Amino acid sequence: MKEIKLVGLDQSVYHEKLENGLEVYLIPYQNKTNYSMHYITKFGSINTRFYPIGENELLKVPDGIAHFLEHKMFEQEDGIDPFTFASKSGTNSNASTSYKITRYYFEGSNSFKENLDYLLTYIHSPYFTEENVEKEKGIIAEEIMQYDDEIDWILDEELRKSLFQKDPTRIDIAGTVESINEITEELLYKTYHTYYQPSNMILLISGSFDKEEALETIKENQALNEATTNQEIKEKKRKEPVEVARKEYSFEFPIINSKVAYGIKIPVKGIKDKFCFNLYVGMILNVLFGLSSKFRERMKREKLMTSFYNERDFVGDYLVVSFYADSPNAKKLVEEIKKEIKTGKITEEEIERLKKVWISSEVVMIDNISLTLDNLLDDIVNYGKIIENKIELYKSMNKKELDEVYQSIDFENASVVYVEPKKV
Amino acid sequence: MNYKKLDMGSYQLHLIPTDRFKTILTRVCLRDKIVKEEITLRNFLANFLTYSTATHKTKRELVLKAQDLYAANIYTKVYRAGNHNMMSFYLSILSEKYTEKGMIDQSVGLLSDIMFHPNFEEETFEEAFKFLYNATETAIQGVKEDPTLYSTVRMLECLDQDMPYSFHEHGYMEDLEKINRTTLMDYYHNVFNHSLVDIYVIGNFDEQEMIETIKKHMHFDTFKRPKESQIIYHEKLPKRPKVEKERTEGSQSKLSIGCKIDRLDEFERNYVLTIYNFLLGSGSESKFFRVIREKHSLAYYIYSSLNKLDHLLLIRAGISKKNYNSTIKLIKKLMKEMEDGEFTDEELEIAKNNYITFLKEIEDNESAIIETFLARDLLNLGDIEERKKEVTKVTKGDIMVIAKKVKIDTIFLLEGDVENEGD
Repeated sequence: MKEIKLVGLDQSVYHEKLENGLEVYLIPYQNKTNYSMHYITKFGSINTRFYPIGENELLKVPDGIAHFLEHKMFEQEDGIDPFTFASKSGTNSNASTSYKITRYYFEGSNSFKENLDYLLTYIHSPYFTEENVEKEKGIIAEEIMQYDDEIDWILDEELRKSLFQKDPTRIDIAGTVESINEITEELLYKTYHTYYQPSNMILLISGSFDKEEALETIKENQALNEATTNQEIKEKKRKEPVEVARKEYSFEFPIINSKVAYGIKIPVKGIKDKFCFNLYVGMILNVLFGLSSKFRERMKREKLMTSFYNERDFVGDYLVVSFYADSPNAKKLVEEIKKEIKTGKITEEEIERLKKVWISSEVVMIDNISLTLDNLLDDIVNYGKIIENKIELYKSMNKKELDEVYQSIDFENASVVYVEPKKV
Repeated sequence: MNYKKLDMGSYQLHLIPTDRFKTILTRVCLRDKIVKEEITLRNFLANFLTYSTATHKTKRELVLKAQDLYAANIYTKVYRAGNHNMMSFYLSILSEKYTEKGMIDQSVGLLSDIMFHPNFEEETFEEAFKFLYNATETAIQGVKEDPTLYSTVRMLECLDQDMPYSFHEHGYMEDLEKINRTTLMDYYHNVFNHSLVDIYVIGNFDEQEMIETIKKHMHFDTFKRPKESQIIYHEKLPKRPKVEKERTEGSQSKLSIGCKIDRLDEFERNYVLTIYNFLLGSGSESKFFRVIREKHSLAYYIYSSLNKLDHLLLIRAGISKKNYNSTIKLIKKLMKEMEDGEFTDEELEIAKNNYITFLKEIEDNESAIIETFLARDLLNLGDIEERKKEVTKVTKGDIMVIAKKVKIDTIFLLEGDVENEGD
């Protein structure tokens, strides 16, 4: 196992890539009681065009299959589902699907070895039948319809449809009622065997456990050892143009206050250090629009917004910055945001202050085993490795580099989506 | 866990030094008898004090100062606990190992600034007042817009509208309208001069230095102690349940049931009751979940929870209107099964294990650890290790005895018009 020291945080991560290709990251803590183990496949809702292992023909699977598969993994041949198994030892278990990954996890304080063994075993023992696949369709359709009532969910989806012309994140993670109806056990098995190979998976464990015992348990797991692996995954990617799909879009919904989402699409292909680029973009946004910004104070005073926040996410070859707000005058607010980005100035003092905030957040995070696990997983998914010296990178940030990044970005490449209250 | 309680005259200082965390959490807890008409004022005051101070006159200045201290996180929580109202100020900071020397002192100083130097200046008061007035109004009105919460609030009122458990958590519009600069100022002095004060500090720090820092910044001048017991007892238990129904639009039906619990001894209240609740209605292994939700598909959700200080057990469910009668019937049947001891030894063990897991989760959470020491003073509940030991002593017989002391008092149904086709 290779030790990766997280600089300035008094914590190490141990990494080993097994022969079957599985990447194992262990984060053992000295002074904790609980543990968190997450088993992840680099397979999410965006992976829908691929060559199934052993086949030469491109397969286009229905949208939402990753999420469907996640649901079906809980079906076990012996009839005991993982929830029931876990709760016997007081362990929480669940799973989730995102655009890029699917994860299964156990969190608890008892029966570490048994739970780890079980987690690996059940993920490598799929059991799909025509009957249990049909049954699931109703359950998932209901889940999809529930999202149809949630305005924040819809707004986010419309923003993605505005920003992207081809990227698969245009489609909701769960798919549509129509698309999931096309799913069959055969498609599930083909997808499963392609993406649930140990060589496409990551196992992260943090908290209170013995790292040697953990590694031994993993290496000895029978189901894992019998799984087909190390087969290359060939996919067909869609090339996403730089231009946004829609500059402006609006719709009505039964809400009290109008809402707005504003997204900026920044190409990052060719940028060498994506982590630092993202840091500087984050710093610009934080200083201009964060909790301590003059902008926020002024917008509140002028009653242009009640809630207001921004996010950043890598989507394919783009970094997307999105703003969400509740605003009685959303058009004016968007004008103000654009103006602020155009004319904003960032001082040394503000940079130094934000560094302290970020350092603090790393320390707070390392104290929490689940947050730490998520933080490291983000690194692996977005940058392909663990960024072990974040605090040093924060400390080395400076105004010169910030201004360079600031000037390099075309902030006009953006989309706005308005939601107006539906008049009854 | 290493724990020390020091009498500082006007307050008690509780120190929990530990190397389990890289942060330090301070909680200043002001406790007083709850008065219905003061709830709104008290919530308002807590928000007002963290909005700005005499030194940092705007919200933004205050945020900037906190960020300079490596994102010192200051927040408040106000809630009712039995007969008492608790107002707490929290300060979460990094251990100085990860920042700079002097950060603890400056951060506790900022907390003290927030508590002892409020910004009552007329010029800046208006802005804060307007903002907080709107926020409070939204919170008060919000109760009506949240059917789940509303049904519980109405049920508690039907239970007994004069008892503290029926008081609205966010307060009342008529009390909000009475708040102005003078009433707020008077109330501020009243709270800070008459509350019972406890200060808890947990984390990686030097004990002696911490005592000095707290002494330097925390200038309480309060010696009055609330005499009334914090725990609410019921004089008599109901013979048969009251039923109340109300209609609403655009929602599922929300069922809220209030059960009164008879006097219990400490072991019963602290341990037996907890296990009883696990078996009956809390979590996915409980009778309610397994039978009402999973087996009969009668509810979208159903669970029970305990308000130990009120001697109340609350049951909440989201159901279709047409399933009301069968749900009530099953709830009564399952409660009767508890009286008759109809649960297996394995289920009892799983419930105990779940409680122990819950206790272990506390060990990795500073704020939850402080809660356990607070509960020690309020309920005479043991620390985490004692609790782990004590809970194993709970027997089937204990639970059957307790089950007979839990009686349904009020059934409240908020009748919605949304029905689910699927069930």
